[in-house]
Amino acid sequence: MRTEYRVIVIGAGIVGCSIAYHLAKFGENNVLVLEKSYISSGSTGRCAGGIRQQWSSPHNVLLAMRSVKLFERLHEETGFDIEYKQGGYLILSYDEKEAVQFEENVKMQRKLGLNVELLTPTQVKKRFPYVNVENVLLATFCQTDGHANPHLANFAYAHVAKRLGVTMMTHTEVVGIEATGSKFRVYTSKGEFESQILVNAAGAYAGHVASMVGLNLPVESYRHQIMVTEPVKNFVDPMLISFSGNFYVRQTKHGHFIMGQGDKDEKPGLNYNVTFGFEKSLAKKMCFLLPFMRKIRIVRHWSGHYNMSLDAQPIIGESPQIANFYYAVGFSGHGFMLAPAVGEALAEKILFGQPRHVSISELNVDRFEKVIVREMNVV
Amino acid sequence: MMKTQLLVVGGGPAGLCGAIEASRYGVETLIVDEGVELGGQLVKQTHKFFGHEGFFASVRGFEIARRLKNQLNHHVKVMLQTTVVGIYEDVVVLYNREKDRTFEVQADYILLATGASERFIQFENNHLPGVYGAGAVQTLMNQFMVLPGKRFLMVGSGNIGLIVSYQLLQAGAEVAAIVEIADRVGGYDVHLRKIKRFGVPVLLRHTIKKALGEEKVTGAVVVQVDEKFRPIGGTEREFAVDVICIAAGLTPSVELAAMANVKIEYVPELGGFVPYRDQNMRTNVENIFIAGDLAGIEEATTAMIEGRIAGLTIAQSVVGVDVSKEIEALQNELVEFRSGPFSEKVRKGLSRFFPQRTVEFSRQPQIDKGPVGKLRPIIECYENIPCNPCQTSCPAGAIEVPGNINSLPRIDYEKCTGCGICVSKCPGLAIFMVQENVEPGFDLVVIPYEMVPLPEKDERVIALDREGKEVCEAQVVKVLRFPDMTNLIYLKVPAGYSERVRNFRTLKRGNVLVCRCEEVTLEEVERAIELGFTDYEELRRYLRVGMGMCGGRTCRSTVLSILSQKLGKSPGELLKGRFRPPVMPVKFESILRGETNED
Repeated sequence: MRTEYRVIVIGAGIVGCSIAYHLAKFGENNVLVLEKSYISSGSTGRCAGGIRQQWSSPHNVLLAMRSVKLFERLHEETGFDIEYKQGGYLILSYDEKEAVQFEENVKMQRKLGLNVELLTPTQVKKRFPYVNVENVLLATFCQTDGHANPHLANFAYAHVAKRLGVTMMTHTEVVGIEATGSKFRVYTSKGEFESQILVNAAGAYAGHVASMVGLNLPVESYRHQIMVTEPVKNFVDPMLISFSGNFYVRQTKHGHFIMGQGDKDEKPGLNYNVTFGFEKSLAKKMCFLLPFMRKIRIVRHWSGHYNMSLDAQPIIGESPQIANFYYAVGFSGHGFMLAPAVGEALAEKILFGQPRHVSISELNVDRFEKVIVREMNVV
Repeated sequence: MMKTQLLVVGGGPAGLCGAIEASRYGVETLIVDEGVELGGQLVKQTHKFFGHEGFFASVRGFEIARRLKNQLNHHVKVMLQTTVVGIYEDVVVLYNREKDRTFEVQADYILLATGASERFIQFENNHLPGVYGAGAVQTLMNQFMVLPGKRFLMVGSGNIGLIVSYQLLQAGAEVAAIVEIADRVGGYDVHLRKIKRFGVPVLLRHTIKKALGEEKVTGAVVVQVDEKFRPIGGTEREFAVDVICIAAGLTPSVELAAMANVKIEYVPELGGFVPYRDQNMRTNVENIFIAGDLAGIEEATTAMIEGRIAGLTIAQSVVGVDVSKEIEALQNELVEFRSGPFSEKVRKGLSRFFPQRTVEFSRQPQIDKGPVGKLRPIIECYENIPCNPCQTSCPAGAIEVPGNINSLPRIDYEKCTGCGICVSKCPGLAIFMVQENVEPGFDLVVIPYEMVPLPEKDERVIALDREGKEVCEAQVVKVLRFPDMTNLIYLKVPAGYSERVRNFRTLKRGNVLVCRCEEVTLEEVERAIELGFTDYEELRRYLRVGMGMCGGRTCRSTVLSILSQKLGKSPGELLKGRFRPPVMPVKFESILRGETNED
């Protein structure tokens, strides 16, 4: 078994696989991806698959816009149909303060080149007649937002990376890391590996992996629950989401509705159980928002984790303390949608010293030494 | 007692054509046929005919039957479900099944077009239900829409064995193998290629030794033979099949001719015992004519020509018209049709009755494969069979079958416009189109396709080569439908594959479901495993198996056992995911009612 690589990536979620794929695409396939379970076993395989560019912080907007560019050509580039659909994101506000903030956000988003519309409840009703707009104060809509099948996108990166020569080892858990200065020795359940460069893309387990090299990354994982209905005729194009209303819902290509909400009382830590309280609360919300939902049946309910950072923006870059130790973590529930741009940017940073398409310099961990500006647009 | 000027026994291609010609000159004609409809074997022939336009080339058999029936005029009476039980000294006797009674007929002339019957062969347990003649299977399948089994073994590789195998595939059955006792395939090369590209194995120098099963066929034992056709011990192989289909050739149905005092001779080249006849299809009995397979096993086109010659000769005798020019033209047609290498046996057989002529033709195949990058046909027709629809269908006049229809076609790529009509018209499905570099990194291959359902545009399929082996993935970029059902499928294949890809199979169309909720087939599961989805949870996410309404209750163990077999791991090791609520789907409103304590 080969044990030495130039780069080892920990985590075969979409972020890890996107990094590996982009490294290989740019010519570096001396790469090993280590995954403790199976591909997409973590947050990627549990997420709703939304792809959104409407953020309150400009970094997120720029990263997301670049991601959308890459999603648009992912099928062509990898040969995998990832069920990508640009049906738009309709963001509903039920809160006056938030509505004011939305107008600010839209100004900033437009300045960055994003085409976003502000809609009154009447306009929403006209365009999306199945939505109950009661109590809605304002909505924003961006047509180029959308969604895709996260599993398929994850597999697309993983399989094409493999085809390009990357080594993928699943069911291989990292149990310890030794940083010797010039290289990393990675101890796993299937033996030891060495690399010059190590990338932490461990999602919900990112903090744990960082601690193996003695690094304290300010991230914590919180459980988020999510469920899916039986399939019905496909007719809902946009993803519907509300921060003040605390929900998101979208219809998949196959007709299922996937939906979720946050829980501010959730305690940090890994927890894969689910609660009936979640179903009750979301059932009420959904039947109010989309009255046709009453007759539709829930078929599955599961949970995953948001790896939260202090400002709900990802932490991406090279460790200031440990040279050649990179990370792309703390995505705070948005790793799937940002993965193409982040994978590309980090691969470029590793290989060429800096990203070529979108800046990530403001996203390193040292930003927390300054003022923390929290991303508001999070469910 | 019925009276008729002409009694035609058998309403197949030969009998129908005889009746058409005779009745055209006013001869009162009665056609008697055993079947429920006219057309004989034509009604079950779903393949396109070879030959040339004058004799329905590139038209499907059942359609030819329809057209021939339309040519009958008011001088013709038809009795169906009626068998001629004897040609007696005094009278001809018919038995009608519907009325369950006999009829007596007096006829001035008789045209016997009784066709042939299938040869049977001897092997252990050949009495078991499930052993069929290939013709019987074809009748059941194509005329009465009954597929007598799921998995077939075809014994014999003549044209019937090959054609029926292909039609079985079209009907959705599986053909486990074709066994052929000789060291070469008996039928046309183009028919062979049609089934080979679906991956059907053809075992030469093999024969059936034994049918397996108690009450009905459950399998077959096949054995290799030596050069004297003796089974070689120790070479036995078993096939799990539920039908054994015998396509061991045909033998003329001479009974009626013989009882009418027609001289019968044994001519193996013509299929065994055949009645004597002259060039005009007249037997040694002045008013008895024969035509079609009864006169020697050939194919339907020559049967039609013989029928016409017989009908015209009879009309000449009955009405006194001079149709010798027409007859001569038809005789020349026969010479042309019989000039190729495939008719060598027939010529040899017929030379016992009258001298045989042949015409010269070209054996020079197309060598030039045409300008790379241009959308153009590639003609894979390497055997001199009498056929030329490629030439006559080409609107640009780019294809030539020089001299006569036995020559190999040649194409002028400068004139060719890439329209694809020849691809659809070729009865042998032997023409494809290719275009290199249709877009960067991709070639285009156009395939004539007669299977259902058709793939959809943009569908991803698995491309197969001439042997039916998988070569690469491909994408359907266009589906060009033709009313005669030879549709063209335009496949985008990776660059360099246009020379190899000659068929494809769809990914989803397999009917073995593993996951019924999400309609995932066994084939898709196996394919995904081959692609590297070797984790149950990855498979689940990739194919949606177990994500349906039942929550995986039925398919979980199936998928795990497939994986377990492929990977050699226990299902317990493979199940990594968690079980998720709800165990059965629950409506939102049921939850709401629970909340408000509604009843």
